[in-house]
Amino acid sequence: MYKRRMLGFSLIRGLAAILLALAVAAVFIFLATDEPFHALQQLLIGPVVSFGEDGASFNVQSFYQILAAMIPTIFTALGVCVMFSANQFNLGGEGGAMAGGFVAALVAIYLPMAAGLHPVVSVLIGAVAAGLITLIPGVLKVSVGASEMVSSLMLNYVVMYVVLHFLNYEFADRSKGATQTHAFLPTAKIAQMVRGGSRLTYGFIAAIAVALLIGIFMYRTRWGYQIRMIGINQNFATYSGMKVTSVILLSQFMGGLLAGTGGAIEVLGRYNTFLWKELPGFGWTGITIAILARNNPVAVPFAAFFIAYLNKGCLLMNTNSDIPSEMISIIQASIFLFFAAEQFLAGLRQRIVVKNARDELAQAQAAAAASEEG
Amino acid sequence: METLKTAVETRDDLLAVEMKNISKVYPNGIAANRNVDFSVRFGEIHALIGENGAGKSSLMKILFGLEQPTEGEIFINGEAVKLASPSQAIAHGIGMVHQHFMLVPTLTVAENMVLGMPPKKGIIIDYKKAVDMTAEIAKRYGFNVDPEARVMDIPVGMKQKVEILKALLRGAKILILDEPTAVLTSKETVELFRQLRLLRDEGFTIVFISHRLNEIKELTDRMTIMRGGRSMGVYETKGITEQQISQRMVGRDVILTVEKDKSQPGDVILEVRDLSYINEWDKRMLDRVSFNLRAGEILGIAGVEGNGQRELVDILFNLREPEGGAVYVNGHEITGLTQRRIRDLGVSLIPEDRMVFGIAGDAGIADNIIADRFDKKAYNRGPIFNMKSIHEETDRLIREYRIVSRDRNQKVGMLSGGNIQKVVVAREFSSDPILIIADQPTRGIDVGATEFIRARLVELSRAGAAVLLVSADLNEVMEMSDRLIIFYGGHIAASFDDTTTLTDELMGEYMLGLRTQASEPKEEKTHV
Ligand SMILES: Nc1ncnc2c1ncn2[C@@H]1O[C@H](COP(=O)(O)OP(=O)(O)O)[C@@H](O)[C@H]1O
Ligand SMILES: [Mg+2]
Repeated sequence: MYKRRMLGFSLIRGLAAILLALAVAAVFIFLATDEPFHALQQLLIGPVVSFGEDGASFNVQSFYQILAAMIPTIFTALGVCVMFSANQFNLGGEGGAMAGGFVAALVAIYLPMAAGLHPVVSVLIGAVAAGLITLIPGVLKVSVGASEMVSSLMLNYVVMYVVLHFLNYEFADRSKGATQTHAFLPTAKIAQMVRGGSRLTYGFIAAIAVALLIGIFMYRTRWGYQIRMIGINQNFATYSGMKVTSVILLSQFMGGLLAGTGGAIEVLGRYNTFLWKELPGFGWTGITIAILARNNPVAVPFAAFFIAYLNKGCLLMNTNSDIPSEMISIIQASIFLFFAAEQFLAGLRQRIVVKNARDELAQAQAAAAASEEG
Repeated sequence: METLKTAVETRDDLLAVEMKNISKVYPNGIAANRNVDFSVRFGEIHALIGENGAGKSSLMKILFGLEQPTEGEIFINGEAVKLASPSQAIAHGIGMVHQHFMLVPTLTVAENMVLGMPPKKGIIIDYKKAVDMTAEIAKRYGFNVDPEARVMDIPVGMKQKVEILKALLRGAKILILDEPTAVLTSKETVELFRQLRLLRDEGFTIVFISHRLNEIKELTDRMTIMRGGRSMGVYETKGITEQQISQRMVGRDVILTVEKDKSQPGDVILEVRDLSYINEWDKRMLDRVSFNLRAGEILGIAGVEGNGQRELVDILFNLREPEGGAVYVNGHEITGLTQRRIRDLGVSLIPEDRMVFGIAGDAGIADNIIADRFDKKAYNRGPIFNMKSIHEETDRLIREYRIVSRDRNQKVGMLSGGNIQKVVVAREFSSDPILIIADQPTRGIDVGATEFIRARLVELSRAGAAVLLVSADLNEVMEMSDRLIIFYGGHIAASFDDTTTLTDELMGEYMLGLRTQASEPKEEKTHV
């Protein structure tokens, strides 16, 4: 009874959020263009439907591109889930993704290995490097109480400039016009899953599998359990006898590990050399996705899909309509806002909780009355 | 209890405040005030005295418009008033200094003084004027405060002065001070009393809330004594002895009986040696406290709250570091051990503040139950939780402890107070503890849960556990304990090996510091 009512409520809330978001987006679109319906079409169905002479058809390649775009962000979002679950607002995923990509690239270039092994080892080494980086704000927090949010934010830029330094002065391929490394050894490339230029690699399968694994880790292991309890009430965790400091550090390390994995898989799957010259942005997107998924790892792929779809729709709207790109950012942000508002429709939810409590009380009284008679 | 003439208002008395037949029932069902009559004469210092939870703050919040009475009338200067908000109370000349200061720590004294009513130059806040105003009013009433200091940098005593000045600046003629001395050192208290007398002599009316008898005797003109939400009468301070106050303040309306066999004390389980603690305001909260607790017995610690009990419990569980002394469990020193190690030695704790320490409110019942045992073999299969055994354990405890809930995943924060406490108790009692520290185990929970928890405590102690019961509930400590210690001012004021002959009167005198076992009762300063 309760479950069904809460599920019903979740669905209604989801639908209401979508409708409101679209309504707001529509208002902006109508304000910004003379062809609002064309723009809306681009935004809503453009990402997966192409309009040719002979009518609309499902655009498989475009769909694959959306899936490919999800790969790094699923990983960074999972990292955020783990770090935020411990109530540590470590924003180092951005730097972690970049460092992971760079270190993995170096292994892919300079350490020859067997074909099956090479990408795996490259990614793992990159991931560990990233984990050590996001561990730094955690250590500063537990040892001297420095805000992890501030230190991780600054750390991202430190990481970026360190990577750029090594890219420019140590590992650049001087034979190329642009600043990039030498090419990866062919053994290190992550294979494409489908034909065409979508860059949908087996990294996608890995991302989904890792999402499930992290779900199990968070909800079915003693470490994930401690992370969650610390996040909910650290006093309680201490009093219960949990090793609060170690678990917080573990969560921050894992967060970086996952972000680094995302960066590494992206680099080895999409490119032939390392050529990022700024922070890749996956860390920020990961935070957005994790918030949408309410730190639930299993919900991350769905949230990642939503964001990737929305990004693609906005991109299409930008290229195929006259809406200025600033307006597109506004539309994107307002759609996101409606989804992320944690307390959205909280009043309604409260009423349902109260109603449930009343029902239960009535039931209990009825049961008590019945047992007295019997 | 001997009969005593109560102070009666005659028609000639000018009353600054008159509250008639006030009742207050909070939404959670707690009746904080029951048909209370309360009145204050012009220009007096009137004490409102009673134990923690007696309803003093609630009554004064009603007078200050912060809470609405469920029933009753209020008259200010003889005129019936409705006080829907503090601003209306302020308009009637009432000011209140709360138990917990309400200052903005990052602002300066002057900024805090004018908060919500800043002097302006056009639309710009005139800071200089605020400083001048503060300096002027401080000088006029002889308060020594620095208008430009940041509130977070000034001592507690000065913060309190700022609160009083704030009320005066807003035109208060009737000042309510809610336990103003609780946070002060004795030197600061002397200073405060001097200033309050000066204010009275200037014609201000003061309501002074406290549960310290000596302060009341020293400072006030009359008093209203409260117990269990009711008024126990109004008295001239000169006409009542500390013993008589204590009898009216501490005591039980109904005497509870707990059935238990005689204890069969075994080995010493808990040994506390010379424990001392000084808090962050340099107040000595524990002063070389020593006692023993044996297997199979319940040792009660009684006392008015704030006399060192909380500090003791925190130190026992290493949630605070003692200044000196040591604690042994079964002969092992536990001072400074991690909570994990302390628990592994067989110690359980029902914390005083269950919402802060006892539970993770946003987590389900199962998650809360396994908090101290999740890494045991029985609940894991290799790296993965054995959900089956976790669920079995949770369901078993839900049944055994009659936790009323929808299912084992219901968030604990959504349960009722009694059921939340049952979750805590179920966890703490089911780990085969040899020592159970129960700190206010039944405070604020329903009768059913209370009886259940008390019965389980007795049962566990008779089965051989050592129980340390810390409670401000007189019924609970007196009836449950095999032996009893009374804390006063961080000392053990008294210790009884036999609780059957104890009376409420005697307890009250020890709890309020009128008597200590070392010396005979203090000489009475006043005679009736
Ligand atoms: N806002 C509130 N909601 C529910 N119960 C309350 C609230 N404030 C106080 N109480 C309860 O009312 C009773 C009296 O509290 P209070 O007036 O603060 O007593 P005192 O100031 O004498 O210690 C206590 O049992 C307390 O838990
Ligand atoms: Mg109070």
